[in-house]
Parts: sequence; C-alpha cells; structure tokens
Amino acid sequence: MLHAEKTEWFELEVTVNGQKIKQAIPMHLRLLDFLRETLRLTGAKEVCGEGECGACTILLNGKAVNSCLIFAAESHGGTILTIEGLQTASGLNDVQQSFIDDHAVQCGYCIPGMILSVEEFLKHSPHPDREKIRHALAGNICRCTGYQKVVDAVENTAKKR
Amino acid sequence: MKIYQPYGLGDCLDLLSELPQAETVILAGGTDLMPRYEQGKVLPEHLINIKHLADLQGITETENGAEIGGLTTIETLRRSGLIHRDYPALWQSTEQFAGVQIRNRATLAGNIANASPAGDTLSPLYLYHAKLKLMSRHATRTIRLEDFIAGPGETTQERGELIHSIILPRVTGSSCFYKLGLREAMAISVVNYALRYSQSAGELTDLEITAGAVAPTIVFLDALTTAVLSGETNSTVWRALIGQDIAPIDDIRASADYRRKVLGRLITHHLQNLGVVCHE
Repeated sequence: MLHAEKTEWFELEVTVNGQKIKQAIPMHLRLLDFLRETLRLTGAKEVCGEGECGACTILLNGKAVNSCLIFAAESHGGTILTIEGLQTASGLNDVQQSFIDDHAVQCGYCIPGMILSVEEFLKHSPHPDREKIRHALAGNICRCTGYQKVVDAVENTAKKR
Repeated sequence: MKIYQPYGLGDCLDLLSELPQAETVILAGGTDLMPRYEQGKVLPEHLINIKHLADLQGITETENGAEIGGLTTIETLRRSGLIHRDYPALWQSTEQFAGVQIRNRATLAGNIANASPAGDTLSPLYLYHAKLKLMSRHATRTIRLEDFIAGPGETTQERGELIHSIILPRVTGSSCFYKLGLREAMAISVVNYALRYSQSAGELTDLEITAGAVAPTIVFLDALTTAVLSGETNSTVWRALIGQDIAPIDDIRASADYRRKVLGRLITHHLQNLGVVCHE
C-alpha cells in the first residue's frame, strides 16, 4: 500500500476460479492483495512477502507463482486458480483429501500454497519419487510438519491417480 | 506509478526511448524488482511490463549454437532438452535456482540485468562465452556478457536498450556447475563455479573455470587453469592461483576468508575427480 498518492488506475479483466472479473484497481496493487482484500479470497496467505516462503502460491495461467511478487495488473487477461477454486462439486480434490488422510496438515498456514504447487507439479510429473517431490516443494516452507507427511501425501495422491 | 504493457516490440522500444530514463524501470519476471519496490528502494514513475513481447520468448537451436529469448523463464530453461544436452552447466544452475514459483516468473535476461555477483546463471553463461543482443529503437548491437556486466547491479546497458536475446556458441567438451548455499534449497550462492574441460587420450587439452559470489563480477580463474594445463599438480599452488583471480567480501552469508577457503577446496576436489564429479 505504499506510494498510493502517485497511483494510476487500471481496468483489470481476469478470470478467477472460473469467474470472469472486471474491476478497477490501483496500478500498484499486488495480486495477493487483490485476491485477499478485493475479492476476499483469503486462502493465499502472506508470510514473508518476498518470495521465499510460498504461502501466497496460486496458479496463474496454470503455473505456480508467488502472488506477492506480481502486480495484479500483470494478470490482465489471465486465468487464476486459488485454493478456493480447487474443490469439485463432489467435494475436496484428491490432493486436498490426501493431505487430510496422511495428516500432512498442522497449523495449516502453508497448506493452500503447498497444495497448489503440488497441483502443478503432478501435471508435469505424474509418478514422482520422494526426492523429486522434495525438490518440487522447495519453494513452500512449513514450520510444523517436518515435511515427511507432506511428501507422503503427495506420493499417495500420485499413486491413486 | 503507471504500468505500461506493450504487446509489440516496436511499441516497447518507443516507450523506452520516450519515457524519462531516470523514472522508468523494465519489469520482466519481477521476482527481484517486487521486493525492492515494496521496501521503497525502487520507486519508478513508469513501469514497463515486457512480459507480453512474443519476440523475446523461447529457445532456438542455431547453426552456431543456441539463441535464448531474454524473457525465457528459468523453469523453461530447466525443462529444455536442448539446454540439458548442450549446456549442462547452465541447466544445472536452473535446477538449483530458487523454487518453482520463482522459476516460473524469473527470466534469463532479468538474472543478467540484475548483475548480482551471486546470480546463478551467470557463471555458466560466462563459461559458455555468451553474448547479448541488445535492441533500442534506433539500433541493435551484440556484446559479450562480460562487457555488459560492470559490477554489482551495474551494467553498460544504454538508454532505451532492451536485452533481446542471449546467444550461446556451440560448446565442446564436458561442463558442469556447482553451487554452495547455506541450505540445499532456496539458497543464494555462498560461492558457485562452472567448469568446462576437454580430454584427449587421458590428457587435459582444454580447461576453463568461472566463479561467482567471490568478486564484484563473475571471474575466470585463468591463473589456475593455465597452470593446470601446463602440468601443475600441486594443490597448494592451485589454491594460491585461485586467490589471484578472486576478491571475496564478508557479507551476511559468509566471510571473505571462508569463501576463499571453500572455493579452493571445492575446485581442488573437483579437478582431482573430474570424470566422476563432472561426468560426460
């Protein structure tokens, strides 16, 4: 929210979780703030605010990105998926369900970001080994779980797919 | 602040030449720019988001090597069979580059333009004698990467210029990249180096090494490689020769002394185990 006095406005058109949105926004608004403050989609979290922790991970045009490092205006014309848009009509998606079944969630703050990173990763690598899973989650930091059960959950999701 | 989002290269070059240079910043991946903007260290009046320029995307195999569009992301390089096969040191640097969220946004030209002494793709790009194609509204020029980077955060980029692409010549021999960070993932280099060599009948016929995070820019360890090629085998001498080409500093990640010691030990170990550590 710095430098608001200098800001110009931008007419943003973007698809979020399947819904087309048209909204005037300040040019300096970060994508994370647009999602959390403007759209009230609070699944993406802010922790470090500088691209280290991955708690603000969303999928932009199918790719995992840190929404704290992107101006909302940069997403113009794009497609965004947040954790709120992941569940299907029949309930949680399989990655979400595996995280619950394998007890991969403790405080939960990092989990929306983790799950979206996993979503993209499994599309590229449907049958990963544990080392590949760890490498894929390098950008998502968790201070509770020790990662073991997170890796279990990803491995089990892949096995069931 | 105003963000411009040109779709055509011509429009972008017009903007770059017309907007006041001191108040204009180019936004590519944004992964380094955004934290600096949020901290108030960079406060541009005009921000040109170049992400939509199709001309600056992609990796092409050429007659003499490869040309990489400036906006090619680190993740695209990591997934490239061509880079993996022909430029393994560059490929290895992308494999250890931050996390996927950063790699999906960060661009090769961005890593170059930031001119960080610890920029992970830079040691491999120096090793492969990369050149840059720079474009402005009025001219296009090609310069060596080492003539472009002038110091930490400093380049010889001229007013109105954009990094169009990175040109890599064809490479002979084997090459690889090594990075030492304070942890395995999401770490900035304490030291890194890239190494290329050729052998014939068990004899070393060619050797080049570049090192990062040990001087204001990437350096070639020429004193060392010249001696090794002349048959010098004493590792104490090697370490002294490495010292001639580097000028490390103390910073939050490590002391100058540690950097000097650890680089010497790593490269000594590497040269004594070439075929194993840097396999074909």
